[in-house]
Amino acid sequence: MTKNKDFNFSIDKKQNQLKFTINTKIYPLTVIYQAAYLFLDKVYIFLAGDPEKKLEVNFKSKPDSNTDLNQLAGLFYNELLNQLLRYKVSETNAKIREYIVSQALYNAVPNEVDELLKEVEEEDWQEDPLGIAKTWEEQNQKQSKKKVKSKTSKNQGKTKKKK
Amino acid sequence: MESIEFDKQIYKLDAIKKAITEFEKLANFSIIDSNEIIKVKINKIDPEVKDILKDEFANYVLGMQS
Repeated sequence: MTKNKDFNFSIDKKQNQLKFTINTKIYPLTVIYQAAYLFLDKVYIFLAGDPEKKLEVNFKSKPDSNTDLNQLAGLFYNELLNQLLRYKVSETNAKIREYIVSQALYNAVPNEVDELLKEVEEEDWQEDPLGIAKTWEEQNQKQSKKKVKSKTSKNQGKTKKKK
Repeated sequence: MESIEFDKQIYKLDAIKKAITEFEKLANFSIIDSNEIIKVKINKIDPEVKDILKDEFANYVLGMQS
């Protein structure tokens, strides 16, 4: 087993295994998950330890694979840093992102006021089934004409009878 | 028989259960859920995948975390 003091990992060449100890105060658990996820196709990974202090990450090379564990260790540390940066950026931009999404959703949902205005625009305002829009004169002229007509017809009837 | 011990603070029970449903054609699985650890016992492993099943299963569970 060979140990690398600079990067805190050890390689067991007989077992084809690589073991990291990662400080979770520097690299949170989600960052480790994301970095490990990208290596699932290359090696078998198993996590153990205390996620609040130090986490053990075990890499085991897959059968019939010629993975260089030393190189893989370096790549994993690089990926940890990459994922940590993404994590920090997403943390700092969280409020702006939420604001943008909420604005987009708000604009996508039709506004109640807009809907009411649309309904009013679609309504045929020239229709007047109850006759509300008619003036008093218009209504009463018709009635008075009817009365005049009925009176004249009655009078005509009376004169015919007299004859 | 093989067994894997998953730390509950790292691995979610739901992820383990989903992995079991995916792998149940290849072996028999049973879960022992204790305070800190979820122990998965694996029996009757398909001989074709006997050497890699345990590690592949652990990889699958890890993949379900993120």
